[in-house]
Amino acid sequence: MNIEKNKLRELYTTMLRIRLFEERIVDLYARGLVPGLAHLYLGEEAVATGICAVLRPDDYITSTHRGHGHVIAKGANLKNMMAELFGKKTGYCKGKGGSMHIADMEIGILGANGIAGAGLPIATGAGMSAKWRGTDQVTVCFFGDDASNNGTFHESLNLASLHKLPVVFVCENNLYGISVSQEMHQPIKDIAIRATGYDMPGVVVDGNNVIAVYEEAMKAVKRARAKEGPTLIECKTYRWRGHHEGDPNQGRRYRTQEEIEAWKKKDPIKQLAKKLIEERILAKKAVAALEKEVTQEIDQAVAFANESEFPKVEEMYEDVYIREGETE
Amino acid sequence: MREITYAQALNEALKECMKEDERVVLLGEDIGRYGGIFQVTAGLLDEFGPKRVMDTPISEAAFVGGCVGAALTGMRPVVEIMFIDFTTVCMDMIVNQMAKMHYMFGGRGRVPMVLRVNIGAGRGAAAQHSQSFHSWFMHIPGLLVVTPSTPYDAKGLMIEAIKNDNPVIFVEHKKLYAEKGPVPEESYSIPFGKADVKREGKDLTIVATHAMVLRSLAIAEEASKKGIDVEIVDPRTLTPLDRETIFSSVKKTGRLLVADEGHKTCGVAAEISAMVAEEMIYFLKAPILRVCSPDTPVPFSPPLEQAYIPDEKDLLLAVQRLMEYA
Amino acid sequence: MATEVVLPMLGITVEKGKIVEWVKKEGDSVEKGETIFVVEVEKATTEVESPAGGILAKILVPEGVEVPVLTVVGIITEPGEKFSEEDVPQAESPSSVDSVDSVTMVTPQENAPMATGPDGIIKAVPAARRMAKEHGIHLQDISGTGPDGLIFAGDVEAMIAGTARPSDVRASTLARRLAEKERIPLEQVAGTGVRDRIMRQDVQAFLKESETTGTPLGTVIPMSTVRKVIARKMSESAFSAPHIYFFTDTCLDPLLEFRSVVLPGLEKRFDLRLSINDFIIKAVALNILDFPMLNAQIKGEDIHIMSEVNVGLAVAMPEGLIVPAIKNADRSGLVDIARQRIDLVQRARQGKLTLEEMERGTFTISSLAQYDITHFTAILNPPQSGILSIGKTDEKLVMEKGQVKVKRIAQIGLSVDHRIIDGAMAADFLQNLKWKLERPSITYLTV
Repeated sequence: MNIEKNKLRELYTTMLRIRLFEERIVDLYARGLVPGLAHLYLGEEAVATGICAVLRPDDYITSTHRGHGHVIAKGANLKNMMAELFGKKTGYCKGKGGSMHIADMEIGILGANGIAGAGLPIATGAGMSAKWRGTDQVTVCFFGDDASNNGTFHESLNLASLHKLPVVFVCENNLYGISVSQEMHQPIKDIAIRATGYDMPGVVVDGNNVIAVYEEAMKAVKRARAKEGPTLIECKTYRWRGHHEGDPNQGRRYRTQEEIEAWKKKDPIKQLAKKLIEERILAKKAVAALEKEVTQEIDQAVAFANESEFPKVEEMYEDVYIREGETE
Repeated sequence: MREITYAQALNEALKECMKEDERVVLLGEDIGRYGGIFQVTAGLLDEFGPKRVMDTPISEAAFVGGCVGAALTGMRPVVEIMFIDFTTVCMDMIVNQMAKMHYMFGGRGRVPMVLRVNIGAGRGAAAQHSQSFHSWFMHIPGLLVVTPSTPYDAKGLMIEAIKNDNPVIFVEHKKLYAEKGPVPEESYSIPFGKADVKREGKDLTIVATHAMVLRSLAIAEEASKKGIDVEIVDPRTLTPLDRETIFSSVKKTGRLLVADEGHKTCGVAAEISAMVAEEMIYFLKAPILRVCSPDTPVPFSPPLEQAYIPDEKDLLLAVQRLMEYA
Repeated sequence: MATEVVLPMLGITVEKGKIVEWVKKEGDSVEKGETIFVVEVEKATTEVESPAGGILAKILVPEGVEVPVLTVVGIITEPGEKFSEEDVPQAESPSSVDSVDSVTMVTPQENAPMATGPDGIIKAVPAARRMAKEHGIHLQDISGTGPDGLIFAGDVEAMIAGTARPSDVRASTLARRLAEKERIPLEQVAGTGVRDRIMRQDVQAFLKESETTGTPLGTVIPMSTVRKVIARKMSESAFSAPHIYFFTDTCLDPLLEFRSVVLPGLEKRFDLRLSINDFIIKAVALNILDFPMLNAQIKGEDIHIMSEVNVGLAVAMPEGLIVPAIKNADRSGLVDIARQRIDLVQRARQGKLTLEEMERGTFTISSLAQYDITHFTAILNPPQSGILSIGKTDEKLVMEKGQVKVKRIAQIGLSVDHRIIDGAMAADFLQNLKWKLERPSITYLTV
């Protein structure tokens, strides 16, 4: 597939944005500025980027506890994201949700979710909704390898296939469900084969090759928009750091240094940079400039979050219910 | 006024709302072709077609969670779970998703869906098909909980539930489906948070839900022959709860009996008792009594099940106990 | 710019950590992301990466020392930067994470009427406690009719209204209702309920039997609560207020005439019969306006002249005397007074007066005019300072301008509290009252 240059640059920038954002969170979290939990997407940038690059603003995604990458790729504003992570009232969720619940209906982000596998039924529902309303909106559902063992996975794929819903199920197989390796939590290696049980196409793709991801996403989204039904895309990928910040030694309680190093060598950003520079789509200087630009963007987001206020205690009681006459 | 059953009243409400707003869709097991096991959705598949009346596979998490996703993206689904007992298999979708999205997302995103369930023992359906743990949902902030006791209330509250932008748990009662009552033909809605005083009285207050309302009305006549004047307050919605009406009734009578079919421990009656004790202690002439189901699973054998269900006998005994406090 | 190296957040439950090895030593150069030290938390060790590249200029926390997370443990300077002691952050006071202290129990102090009787805690239902407090009744003055002497709300209500709720008579609400309706003294009913409690069927059974007779000789009647209160108040009054007494004969012919003239018209128009007492009440009220000290009460060392003129009328009840007061008698017309009187007396007989209606009186009229009593001395109704006693009206031979006439005469008596009312004032008051009563057409100019 021939991807035009602008698109390639866009892919690169998005991955960079995710990478630098998450690296900054490492530091901020260590300093106690990001309370609670942080599950970082470092190493998996190509998956979110490649998939979301195919989507329109009015398409939907459901995300996971490891959702920063998804929401950035879908177009979330870094300032509001950072503020939400800091727990400030200027955050996406007014500070009430935190890292695992970032949502923005206007750009189709139906929420990151703290419950493994919860996004599958919700995405299926968004698919039903598009069908009812007669639109050609597509919903992408991100979930992990271990979540594919949950009842919700099977129920959702069954229902989506039965009704040919416009949903793309994207499994980010990073080989671990927290500390339990794939071979210890399921008898299969390729999750994509489960699609057969639900009478829909299942494909395996190299999750570190953003172009490959992009191309598969294109096919699946096209199929969905044409009302031909759902697809299961399995992205083979790997997270560089532990399950959460605080997971000792980047998850070396259950992973080996060799394994981590091996995957780090497949760095999706380095891969794409090499290709872009070789094919003269991007100059080396431009790459450095881009990095500087994105860093600045993140600096601004941090400054914004720092300057913002925490919500007042009374706000704890707001938004439990919608009062009559309240508009969104 | 014509009289129809509770089930028919609900059917009418659904039909009217579906006619008026094409975003209203129904999902559930056996609701389409079969018309629902209690016939609440009878005829709706024929009228609105399979696109809007969907028979689902046995996948509660998928279709209840699906309704959450659909509601987030512009639909107004009404989903049925066959018995309240089955909500356990999709509890995450109800408690962690449906109830919390509006709050967690800081007000972005609404889930205007109605989840219909039913409670009540008495049909020999045994332990896993006869429970009444609707108090669990009263316990979760973010959910509205509706408990109609008459056909009139059922229709009006269902129409309100569908129009309301909040997620609603609509709790019906197995033994009330066949009860008849006067219901207007036109569309009307009953606001949430407004209790209905089903009988005025001055000696004691019974706050009752569902079938306990009807049972209380039955014993009220007997009690009046003995010179006891009973007031019956039907909250109609547990969340939001009409505290003011309950309080002013207790202020008037000074004696409170709370009747609900959930278990006694940690049930709806426990909450209302605590609330009244907290706010109205100086108006109580007697201790607060609760008439509830015992703290056991629902037994199968008919005489046991009969003893299990809190009924007129239990209510009368409690009333008499209360009246001993002059 | 120097960068602080902190002991990082290591998960949501970890609060402290100990550096077990500084992989980089002071003065070493370090790259961003390189392991800089190893920390031990809860039996596990984890490597910590350097947040910046440069020189590890200073190690602030050595190996083996346990510190809270976020403590600054080292400083990294940029190559060529000079490190000064000023860069070392001041030791901050322990992080201001407010720990939630143990929940302090807040016990509501006010509005909790605590009744502790001489023999310990008194059991009363909450509504009873509140009502007792509101009306200034001590719970120990009430005998509860509930199990184990539990004081019901009804016990306090009865106390307030002054009806017979005989002590030690335990009965259910329905039994009491029926007894009240049928006017049966509960203490004479045998109870068959739990521990001899009187139940409704017991009262019904009693009704079936022959009527009761009066209390025979030799009976010992324990004082009812109401009687106890009356006894106490009487003693209080008699032994603390020095009474002086005055009497005068009043000719009631003009008043009786006046009454007979206006009665039919008023009866037709307002559907009630004015009694002589109504006229007397009004005259007394008007008189008080001329002699406000008769409307006064002693409170501590002050004399309070009450702002309202509420004239009480003593009503005889089997349990004792009850004195409901007609409100604002000075400003009320005769018809108003009559209405109030009728209503109050009726409810007094039913035991349905409120405490306010009994306590608001500022002056009392006591009439034994229906008995063959010429005159009598009345004891003040505390805290009032004046009371009028009215004897029987009789035809008497009276000298008038040398002629013998037959007139209807009533002897009216006045008792006052001599602490604040002198003889002269009392005499003046009574004299003026007599004058008012004997000239009805002037006195009652505004009806």
